[in-house]
Amino acid sequence: MSNKDKESIQLLQGTLDLIVLRTLATMGPQHAYQIATRLQQISDRLLNLNQGTLYPALVRLEQYGWIKGTWGRTESNREAKYYEITKAGQKALGEETKTWRRMSALVERLLIQES
Amino acid sequence: MKHLRRVLLKFYQLFANSKAEAELAREIAAHLALLEDEYLRRGMPPEDARRAARIAYGGVEQAKQLHRDERGFQGLSQILQDTRYTVRQLGRSPGFTATAILMLALGIGATTAIFSIVEGVLLRPLPFPDPDRLVILGDVLEGSNCATCTRPGVTAPDIRNYMRDTQSFSHLGGYRGRLFELSGTAEPAAVNGTRMSAEVFAALGVPPLLGRTFTQQEEADNQQLAVLSYGMWQSRFHGDANVLGTRILLYRKPYSVIGVMPRGFEFPLNPGHVNQSEFWLPLSLQPEEFTAGGAAAWNSRMVGRLKPGITAERAQSDTERVARDTMRDYPAYMHSLRIHAVVTPLHEDTVEQARPLVHTLFFAVMVVLLIACANLAGLLLVRAIRRRREIAVRLALGARAATLLRQAIVESMVLSIAGGAIGLALAAVTLRVGVSLLPQTLPRLKEIALDWPVMLFALVLALLTGLLCGLAPAFAAIKTSVNETLKEGGRTGTLGSGHGRLRAALVVAEIAVALTLLTASGLLLRSFEKMRDVKLGFRPDHTLAALYVLPHQRYGTQSAIDEFTKTLRNDLEQLPGVDAVGVTSFLPGAGDHWNIAFTIEGYVSPQGAGLNMATTSLVQGDPFEVLGIRVRRGRVFTESDNAGSPLVAIVNRKLAERYWPGQDPIGKRLRRGMPETSTPWMTVVGEVDDVKLGSADAETLPQVYQPVTQTVASKGVFATAGELNASDGWIVLHTRMAPEQMQATLRATMRQIDPQLPLYQMQTMERAIANSETPRRFITVLISSFAIAALLLSVLGIYGVIAFSVALREQEMAVRMALGCQRSGVILDILSSGSRLAVVGCGLGLLGAVAASRLLRSFLFEVSPLDPGVLALSASAMLLLTLAASALPARRASMTDPVLALRGE
Repeated sequence: MSNKDKESIQLLQGTLDLIVLRTLATMGPQHAYQIATRLQQISDRLLNLNQGTLYPALVRLEQYGWIKGTWGRTESNREAKYYEITKAGQKALGEETKTWRRMSALVERLLIQES
Repeated sequence: MKHLRRVLLKFYQLFANSKAEAELAREIAAHLALLEDEYLRRGMPPEDARRAARIAYGGVEQAKQLHRDERGFQGLSQILQDTRYTVRQLGRSPGFTATAILMLALGIGATTAIFSIVEGVLLRPLPFPDPDRLVILGDVLEGSNCATCTRPGVTAPDIRNYMRDTQSFSHLGGYRGRLFELSGTAEPAAVNGTRMSAEVFAALGVPPLLGRTFTQQEEADNQQLAVLSYGMWQSRFHGDANVLGTRILLYRKPYSVIGVMPRGFEFPLNPGHVNQSEFWLPLSLQPEEFTAGGAAAWNSRMVGRLKPGITAERAQSDTERVARDTMRDYPAYMHSLRIHAVVTPLHEDTVEQARPLVHTLFFAVMVVLLIACANLAGLLLVRAIRRRREIAVRLALGARAATLLRQAIVESMVLSIAGGAIGLALAAVTLRVGVSLLPQTLPRLKEIALDWPVMLFALVLALLTGLLCGLAPAFAAIKTSVNETLKEGGRTGTLGSGHGRLRAALVVAEIAVALTLLTASGLLLRSFEKMRDVKLGFRPDHTLAALYVLPHQRYGTQSAIDEFTKTLRNDLEQLPGVDAVGVTSFLPGAGDHWNIAFTIEGYVSPQGAGLNMATTSLVQGDPFEVLGIRVRRGRVFTESDNAGSPLVAIVNRKLAERYWPGQDPIGKRLRRGMPETSTPWMTVVGEVDDVKLGSADAETLPQVYQPVTQTVASKGVFATAGELNASDGWIVLHTRMAPEQMQATLRATMRQIDPQLPLYQMQTMERAIANSETPRRFITVLISSFAIAALLLSVLGIYGVIAFSVALREQEMAVRMALGCQRSGVILDILSSGSRLAVVGCGLGLLGAVAASRLLRSFLFEVSPLDPGVLALSASAMLLLTLAASALPARRASMTDPVLALRGE
């Protein structure tokens, strides 16, 4: 695989949830394979992620009531479980994004001062 | 909010697991199919596409596990799974399951029932606010070393002095219980009531349910007021809300009802069901109670509430100071008496006497439970060994030890919780029936119930039992050696000797504790037998007894009383079927008597010997003949021994031998009180056999009999102004027919003489003796039934272990017999392995019996806790039973067909 050459990074705890939420918010209902593909695209294959590792995040978000899964058909007429962001999920995404921005700004500021 | 939702969902997952698993599998399959499509589209051959999809996805099982961990509580869900598995497994061997559960149900049920007694009687705080601050205050009279003086009492002057001069109590008051003749509402009846200081209500801190309690002022004014108990209000006034203001007649004096106490209010906290006080009257001490004999009668008690911050020790020294002042003011006729004030927590005072009994019962029932536990552990161990091939295979396939351990514990937990649930039901039924059978020597019987603490106890007991029983088989399971077990193939000839040792240890422990209990039961049975052998000193058959108390209101003069007694005795003697009639102040066997001090002419007490106490019975007619008390020397009283004639007395053998050893007591003289007390001499005219006044296992006391007509005269300075002779007594009748048949006649005769006078506690003497035996019979029966249960359980355990080891050695036996070993050789071999266990167990059991003897000592009567006969008998019974239990498997082993040796499995 080509991404083996690049240096892969580990996901920070909780960031996967945010990414999944964000993906569903912008792209509409997606199944797990689509989400995984999307993840690899935007990370420019920096994330070395087995697609199966997505599942715990999905079940967690579903139990929070932020996303909701329903069975549907793909264009190629395969069955797949489509996840959709809920109203509570939209609200949570807003809050989580704010928290993330504050957090990353803080880390950024720290790194600038240190250097 | 989101977390709460999630926790609930995670719990929900425990029960929807299979649905979630199916859904997950479906989703993963769909995911893989999409991936595969993608690779196919890129032009990979189908085989490679499938592989590539798998690689991109990562480990399917790992993903599933991550999903499971995320969606539910995994530990719990596994236990749930194990439980389902266990229940299925147990369902497959119903015999084993039923045995195990029943055994545990019996063990836990019995333990729970007994614990509810422990909890209700000993542990639960008294039903008063802040009960730890309540104390009993009383005097210990120096030198009055008698059995009945363990509950310290006070005199009327004590009550006044302690209330006035102590500083440690926020409230302190005296009380005195007695029987009352109650009339004015229905049929005259005898009821228990308590005279008590208004301060006692304040000290106890329980407000009345209806109306009010009396005040100190009302008490000082001698107002005749009554506060009813809830029970009396319900039974005699049908819970009438207008009861306040009603008049009741007590000893024919009117008292008006001013209050009703709430249900559950009980004071004094007397032992038993029947002795509870039904109402409370103001104590209102009368002037005559402070003078003469009143000052030397320790017949009341005091209860108080300690002031905040005051310790019992501070109160003790405070009261001690008041006691010294009281002694300093003693009148000349009692100046040699010495008292010590004693402050005891009310709880301690209430439960102290019941504690040994309750502890012993609890100890015994725990032994039964332990044996049941050991048996179950043994059974589970056998199961584990039977399944060791399965376990070895699972270990070989990578099962973790923790999993095996968990499953073993879950199995025993399922059994013990099922057993606990059934046991709780059994305990509930037992308590329903059993509380009424408890001896009347226990206090607070009303509080015994299956309440929350008891239920919690049963639950914890079940869990602990399960854990304990599960440990042995669990470790046996994980110690299974995979190689050895699988190599053995089908052959069960060799057996892990470690497990054999474990099973042997369990059996030895069972035998040991069962023998301890068996010895205890043997000792108690022997004591009971000894008690039955005791010569009571009187003849109880064909004898009827009943108590009367003449109300002062109606019988206020000596002539009125004499008239009554004369008529009564005449009328009773006329009755057909009556042989002899007598009246006595203390009924033998009834246990209700007290002691007074005597001075014996010419006898000098050894230094520090204390007072010369004796029980004094006041008699009329010839109770000696009625009760068959043998006259050893001299004569009985006659009609000419009366108020005007010289004072006479009859003594019992014990008194005569103590004070005039080897001499004829006839003609000797003694008098009431201490040397400094001015009382007249009485001349001894007869000596009679010792009579047991309480139960047969109680100590025989020195006794003095006096004609009732000479009572006041013999009291000298102790006699209060206006005191009258013979105002109460036990009628005793010797009948030709069954005494029960005379009851109605006796009642009718009494009604003719005074229609308002009730007869109290009418009973045959045989009944009275049976009652006095109840406490000992109770503990003997209970401990013996526990011992029998323990014995049966342990024999069952021994049988199980021997039978199992024989079954394992079947192959070996067959080989030995094929090689020419005799049947008797096989039998001997197995019997000897059984008896080895028994000998070791019995040795340990005898040590246990020695250890338990301290607890048991107070219940034994004329039997040493190390009685060699009982020890030998119990040990040999245990040995024989063990041999019998191993005989059956031994016989079966000897029947082994040698052909088996050739066949293998």
